[in-house]
Amino acid sequence: MLRFILRRILLILPVLIGMTIIMFVIARVLPGDPVGLAAGPNATRAEIEALAREFGLDQPLWVQYWTYLSGLVQGDFGTSLFSRRPVATDLAAYLPATLELVFSALLLAILVGIPAGLMAAVWRNKWPDYLSNILSVAAISMPRFFLGLLLQLCFAMWLMWLPLGGRFPIIFDPPPGVTGFYTIDSIIAGDWDSFWTALRYLALPAIAMSLSPLATILRMMRASTIEVMHQDYVTTARALGLSPRLIVFKYVLRNAISSSLTVIGLYFGWLLGGTVLVETVFDWPGIGLYATSAIVSQDFMPVVSVALVIGVLFVTANIVIDVLYGLINPKVRYQ
Amino acid sequence: MSTIDLKTLSRRSFLALSGAGLAAASFPQDLFAQSGRNILIIASTQDIPNYDPHTATGYSASFFLRNTYEPLVRVAGNPPEPVPGLAESWEVSEDGKTYTFALNPAAVFHDGSPVTAEDVVFSYQRALRLARGNSWMIRGIVEPEGVTAVDAHTVRFDLATPFAAFLQVIPWIFIASKAIAEANEGGDDSTTYLQANVAGSGPFKLRRAEAGALYQLQRADTAWQTGGGNLDGVIWQIVRESSTQRLMLQRGEVHISVDLTSEDMDALDGAPGVVRVIEPEYRTFSIKMNTEHGPMADINMRKAVAYAMNYQAMRDASGYAELMTGPLPNGILGHNPDLEVYRTDLDRAREHLAMTDTPEGGITLRMVHVNGLEQQRRWALIMLDSLQALNIQLDITPMNWPDMVAACQSPETFPDLFPVYQTANYGDPDNIAYAAYHSSRNGGWQNAVYHNPEADALIEAGRTEIDPARRVEIYGQLQELLVADCPDIFGVLEKRRLGMRDAVQGFAFTPVASNAIEAWPLSL
Repeated sequence: MLRFILRRILLILPVLIGMTIIMFVIARVLPGDPVGLAAGPNATRAEIEALAREFGLDQPLWVQYWTYLSGLVQGDFGTSLFSRRPVATDLAAYLPATLELVFSALLLAILVGIPAGLMAAVWRNKWPDYLSNILSVAAISMPRFFLGLLLQLCFAMWLMWLPLGGRFPIIFDPPPGVTGFYTIDSIIAGDWDSFWTALRYLALPAIAMSLSPLATILRMMRASTIEVMHQDYVTTARALGLSPRLIVFKYVLRNAISSSLTVIGLYFGWLLGGTVLVETVFDWPGIGLYATSAIVSQDFMPVVSVALVIGVLFVTANIVIDVLYGLINPKVRYQ
Repeated sequence: MSTIDLKTLSRRSFLALSGAGLAAASFPQDLFAQSGRNILIIASTQDIPNYDPHTATGYSASFFLRNTYEPLVRVAGNPPEPVPGLAESWEVSEDGKTYTFALNPAAVFHDGSPVTAEDVVFSYQRALRLARGNSWMIRGIVEPEGVTAVDAHTVRFDLATPFAAFLQVIPWIFIASKAIAEANEGGDDSTTYLQANVAGSGPFKLRRAEAGALYQLQRADTAWQTGGGNLDGVIWQIVRESSTQRLMLQRGEVHISVDLTSEDMDALDGAPGVVRVIEPEYRTFSIKMNTEHGPMADINMRKAVAYAMNYQAMRDASGYAELMTGPLPNGILGHNPDLEVYRTDLDRAREHLAMTDTPEGGITLRMVHVNGLEQQRRWALIMLDSLQALNIQLDITPMNWPDMVAACQSPETFPDLFPVYQTANYGDPDNIAYAAYHSSRNGGWQNAVYHNPEADALIEAGRTEIDPARRVEIYGQLQELLVADCPDIFGVLEKRRLGMRDAVQGFAFTPVASNAIEAWPLSL
């Protein structure tokens, strides 16, 4: 297992280098004049050229790439052309917010989707199955930003239970930063009031993000549970007189969950790269908004760096999923 | 991290209240009232990524700098007039080339050290050295050696050339502490330090900055400014959706919203506790034409298009706006409200078209607009409809802003028609005239192609002339020349739209950078 993990980690390197090359080239061959834009409407041509020199954009592409890669090894993601802030500083500010949102959404999807999928399969063609079918089709068809607006309208405007947006009440300081996840940081600080408050702020965006993966996980879980329940060993277990509960939870669940794990891994990357709409609706200060504004203004370094970070996280998530396969299902052998 | 010192409502009790669901959704005014602190909350779509006083640009940075730094003079009133800032008084020589400012001896930086003439000299020289941010406003006017400290509290500017708008531009050049900047020089002229730290003498100092979320200022204990309101602090909160800003304003979660659309303003009409501020500002929205390349290089084609345009539809599509009368913003010094400008007249449009190489039309023009800017897209559709009367087709291309900036670099790449907003940074006709029509701006998006030596001469005469009556005369001639040349379809002046809770007191509208709210005079 350890060798497998090490080998996968080593295999990440060429993937990441390939990704930086592709992103680097695409970001620079796109038409447009980001330097002119960054220099401002009143900059002279000489000032625009000076800015290009300052950022090394007058150098050949391979020199620029090498400089970037050398910096990257030392943890330097470059500097934003527009804000002139180190990209690493921006990533440190925005990434935890997005990760907290994505992890929460995924956790919610798993905690609801897997039991619901199991229930739908066990009570196949009965009302829990029909209900889950209707709900999952509705959830997967609803655009996330629209769902976000509906949730705001219902829970923030009419019922006044939850906040409209943001991460924490703005007139108060967030919990002391350790992980950047407000919920976890407030637990670390032992501040339960802050924890519940952070959770209330997290609720609506996390629900808006979670419904699509929830529906997919539910349907996957239902399908694989039905398939597993038709396996010979389940029939044998039934014939032996084992209780339905024991059969479902001890023998069916473990085998059925493998296919949902694949979906969870894929959804992690999908959610990470697709937070921008929910972040916009709920003013969640995350990496999606940061990346979008960088893409629109062709701010090279943030674009490449965000892609790289998402790539690393996605690949890491897939390694974790692969490892979980082995833990859940001993039939899976890693060579 | 410490908590805010709330006197009557502790953070814990507030959060407990929030946890109980009583205040879960918002922070309404009654809670602020209970807190015993007057914290003004402003909702804006724009982040403040950089607050170096000499490199930052944009209205969000202007808000930050106006409140944490002090310029020599500030601008106030309608029409905008210079009022004392760091300088309590000033003198101008007869030839308009020498300005002498007497600094307020009470002025101190946030660390308690006095503001001296050396700090002023340092700040202007640094702004010119870095050549970024607002330094373009004084480029060619102030030379580094032209700023001298006469004594600790007197500073003299010997301008390279007379500049009538000098007192209108210096509110945007902020004074930083030389000692703090030099102590954090860092090999990059303090840019790394100052883009994330404050070395100013403004009435507020930075308390908390959370990139992409909020910037909190608190009243400086060293605040030396006189008068002022009762604010203990100000929060600039990033709220990216204007509709969310509106909802927050209605619920009392924010006190001022600076990015509302016309539709939002309509929705706020009659909303309890909300005051709408809808005022004309010097922000033009016109359609530039390619005077150098393609069919629009023919002045008769430009005039044909200008007469064919449906101006009423333009105005109607622009929400709270008024049609421009000529190239200068209505109401600014020298603006001629009686100027005879182009209005929809299809007969005259056809007359001018008949004098072109394509008297029957039958051509296709290209108009670009910024991707996502609905207003520009609407105008493109109005243009499409208007040109059909001349048998001219319109190819409408949405483009990303960097691509549009690149397209402005040469007449060959510049489209036939290009709608553009131009915001006046200072309340003087020189601002729009120079940026939009002087040939030195060619290649940039504000004036990509238009050049006319006669217009250049008038613009230069207007900026160096210090007699207001003579300036009115010069700008009168310039307006007539520009109408005759027809480089633009003069569009609309969009009114500034601010939404405000009625608890905000002391707000006075100034038609320059009015969304960069000055918090010092305000009370809650």
